[in-house]
Amino acid sequence: MREFMQYVRNAFYGATGWSEDNSYKDLNVTARELIDFPLPRGIRLSLSSLATPHFATSYQLCNVGVVDGSISYLHSSVPLTAVPAQSDRIPLGALMRSYRGLHQLGSRGGTAWSWETGPQAGTTPQVPAFADVDRIPNKDKSSLLYGRLYLPQSLLEAMVIKRFSSTLQVQISAVSEQSLRNGGTMLSVVQYDRGNYGIEGLYSTDGGLLGLRGLYNFGGDASVAALSAQNGPGSPESVEKERIYGRFSAGGEMYYGTLNKSGGMSVGARFATLPTHKGTPLTATLTINPLMGNINTTYSLLAKDFLAMATRMEFNAYSYESDWAVGLELWSNRRPAGFLLGAEPSLALESAESEPPIKKERSFQAKMEWRLDDPEPEPIKDVEKPTERKEEYLGVLKARLSSNLNLGLVWEGRAKSLLFSLGTGVDLQRLGEPFRSLGLEVQYSS
Amino acid sequence: MAFNFNWSPLTADAGFYERARDLLTTALNKSPKPPIIVDDIFVTEFNLGSVPPDLEILEIGDLAEDRFRGIFKMCYSGDAFLTLKTRVQANPLNTYLSGKPGFASPEPLSASSSLTIPLQITLSEIKLSAFIIVVFSKQKGLTLVFRNDPLESLKVSSTFDSIPFVRDYLQRTIEQKLRDLMMDELPAIIHRLSLQIWCPDQIVKEDEEQSKETVDHTVNPLSTPPLDAVDAEGRLLDPAAISELSLETGAETQSLFSQKSLFKLSSLTSTQETSSLFTPSIKEVMYRAWAGPSDRVDTTGTPGPATPSLHRTTSYTNGTAHTYTFSDTASQDQGHLPSRPSMVSLNSATAGLSLGSGRHSKAGRKKKTRVVNLRGKTTSEGGSEAGESSETASTSTAPASEPIMSHPILEVPEEEMPASSNKVRFGGSHLRRPSFRGDREPAKVSETPVPSIEISAPNTTQKQPTRQSSPVDIKVPADWSRPRAPSEISPSVILEQAWVMKMAGEIARRVYDEKNRNPQFWEERDDTPPPAYEPRP
Repeated sequence: MREFMQYVRNAFYGATGWSEDNSYKDLNVTARELIDFPLPRGIRLSLSSLATPHFATSYQLCNVGVVDGSISYLHSSVPLTAVPAQSDRIPLGALMRSYRGLHQLGSRGGTAWSWETGPQAGTTPQVPAFADVDRIPNKDKSSLLYGRLYLPQSLLEAMVIKRFSSTLQVQISAVSEQSLRNGGTMLSVVQYDRGNYGIEGLYSTDGGLLGLRGLYNFGGDASVAALSAQNGPGSPESVEKERIYGRFSAGGEMYYGTLNKSGGMSVGARFATLPTHKGTPLTATLTINPLMGNINTTYSLLAKDFLAMATRMEFNAYSYESDWAVGLELWSNRRPAGFLLGAEPSLALESAESEPPIKKERSFQAKMEWRLDDPEPEPIKDVEKPTERKEEYLGVLKARLSSNLNLGLVWEGRAKSLLFSLGTGVDLQRLGEPFRSLGLEVQYSS
Repeated sequence: MAFNFNWSPLTADAGFYERARDLLTTALNKSPKPPIIVDDIFVTEFNLGSVPPDLEILEIGDLAEDRFRGIFKMCYSGDAFLTLKTRVQANPLNTYLSGKPGFASPEPLSASSSLTIPLQITLSEIKLSAFIIVVFSKQKGLTLVFRNDPLESLKVSSTFDSIPFVRDYLQRTIEQKLRDLMMDELPAIIHRLSLQIWCPDQIVKEDEEQSKETVDHTVNPLSTPPLDAVDAEGRLLDPAAISELSLETGAETQSLFSQKSLFKLSSLTSTQETSSLFTPSIKEVMYRAWAGPSDRVDTTGTPGPATPSLHRTTSYTNGTAHTYTFSDTASQDQGHLPSRPSMVSLNSATAGLSLGSGRHSKAGRKKKTRVVNLRGKTTSEGGSEAGESSETASTSTAPASEPIMSHPILEVPEEEMPASSNKVRFGGSHLRRPSFRGDREPAKVSETPVPSIEISAPNTTQKQPTRQSSPVDIKVPADWSRPRAPSEISPSVILEQAWVMKMAGEIARRVYDEKNRNPQFWEERDDTPPPAYEPRP
């Protein structure tokens, strides 16, 4: 489950029409989120609020043996008016869904942020906040300020996101803590996104690390023909290209620490289906680190709307070490803890849906004219059904298993207006005391 | 005096290396490892080699059947080697990211993927040179402390020898780690080992906090024979010979000690356990309390400036080292010694003390310690017209019953008495002693050909900061105030001593300054300094 502040930050990205598809850092983010989801530890309570459209606060209290907490504030220059912030109205997909489909290229700012409501969002934009993105005044000069103070440790996190134009964005994040060298560290990232390619340059004060990342899209909607087809559809070339309902991306990263004279690099590629694809959405990535001999492949797919799966395999060509992990995400429309709350939601739905058809009398006029009644107009309910089905998911079960037989299980869901996340880590190799961690997270926002 | 070191029995013991390997493995894995080391460190090979270390005795501070304290100089350049095995992280970006906060992390996608490489490191050609303080007590085991950084040089050969950058890094890191190991971990390891060997009951006592005070707290020093017994010529004694000497087995040896003197000794012991001021006097016995300061007057020729009250306490604690009466009595009648049960360890003391006669013949000729009695002085502190009194060590009967107060004495500069110092070198040549106080420069010790057991304090000189015009140096015997714990030599004693010495030196200097300012204050305490003690030749 994402934290409220991250949700707001994503909403800011959505509101300003910034997509993270073209960041090489997030090349395999779908598989990573499906497999490496965080397990809650201890008890954590968060109380958050989007007090004004510009301002959000969040307070957190944790108890993992010791009690600590954090206070965070966020300010956005873009009004996040239509973002649902109440914990009983937040779309669960925005907080919990791991499978992240690609955005439509060229539709920047319009139907972006399919993450919010699932892969089909590209076709049917649901969230009004981002449908009228274009109406937001000077969103190209927007900025976001974020600060978080962890209290007993007095660790301070700060982040500034500043958009300079529709394609250029600077992101500076800093951490201040006493135990760190020089008392803290700062990372600044310059992001340049041209739609079909994106470049990032970064500098970290810690070790003077310089980095350069880039991603280039080709094939599918990113190909020249497809781009031209968007402008003038109907050419036979574009029809030919339409058969590939996916986009290829290739990129690389390079780092060099100017102070410690060390570096690293990797190259990667991704294939992901486009939102327009009618079949099963899937994402496959391959990253290679030629210096360290590391090969990493992931494959994730959205088998059904309620089921997403991912696998990851790693192999090191130098040390012959290998690793694998699988992850699974299963959505459920059962009400969480329904047996406790008494009501069976599916029953309520069925009763609403299968109400006995009322046997109508033939109208007097029809009888007089020796004919049957006009057929009743089709209920509009069927049209609205997809949206309802989206929202009827009430919980999600996430599971992962890695090669050292560590099983992670998390159930996340909403009960009343509280968002719960209950998770445990199980070590299958030591069945004597299998539970290695247990945690409960409760989140409330208004 | 000589020690025979049996280097080979260590290697002959089959289980020794295994035990040592286990101990080293646990010691190396105890402290948190740097992120570059991703696995446990295993000691796969360990060999002490065939070349024993050179040991040079610098000082023996305490010598008895059941305890020992001394300072050694150790040099080692043998063929011992040690092989470690572990796995290291080869990706510098991976180690760079570890321990960094995730919030400001650059989050590389795959550039930080891990590559672990098995690493084998062989440490060989170890060259050590150290001053070692060894404190041994039957109750507390063996404590070994390095006074300085022992590691001189070391050759690290590893899997990465072809890459100079990695090799240098490993060399640097391992040297640092080994230094820490030597200074911190090795004393602990040796202490545990010695506890296992000599007093396993101690470990039990440590484990369960059962206050087994009834376990014979007053250990008969003659009850158990020492482990590595040598006779006067340095030959190893076989256990049968030791058992003949031992108190328990030979009934006739018991008669060598009269019941009366044993009773006196026990009463002397018991006085140390109370705060009673009464100390039974035993004939023909040199008390350490008498011997302590005056003896050092003899050796260094200059007792340091000290507050009398402070020195009184130290002399009191000195008096608690009652076991010294044994060695002294033993030294007085050597004819009995071979039949004494305590012979084995006393021999070393006796040999030294008996050799002291040679020193005295020399000292009588050469010794002209010119001391300045400050108390005789009143106002003029020039130091040039200070009353001088030359003390030659002549008395063998020490003054009794009164704790000796040492008095600050100014000394004429050292150049005037090049031959008067009767420092003892076992090894011989000019070498600098380890200074007990870091801020004082150790004096160079003149060579004396005659070996002796005379325990000499490091001759530390020090300039008075307040009196720059004076040509007088203050010489402070460094261990004049060292507290002698009766039988409680614990590892922390050495640290304590160092601290106490430092503090005492500080106090002494303050008092000295104060006295310089108003000498009348000290006027009424004008009593003659006690004659110095010299062991009878």
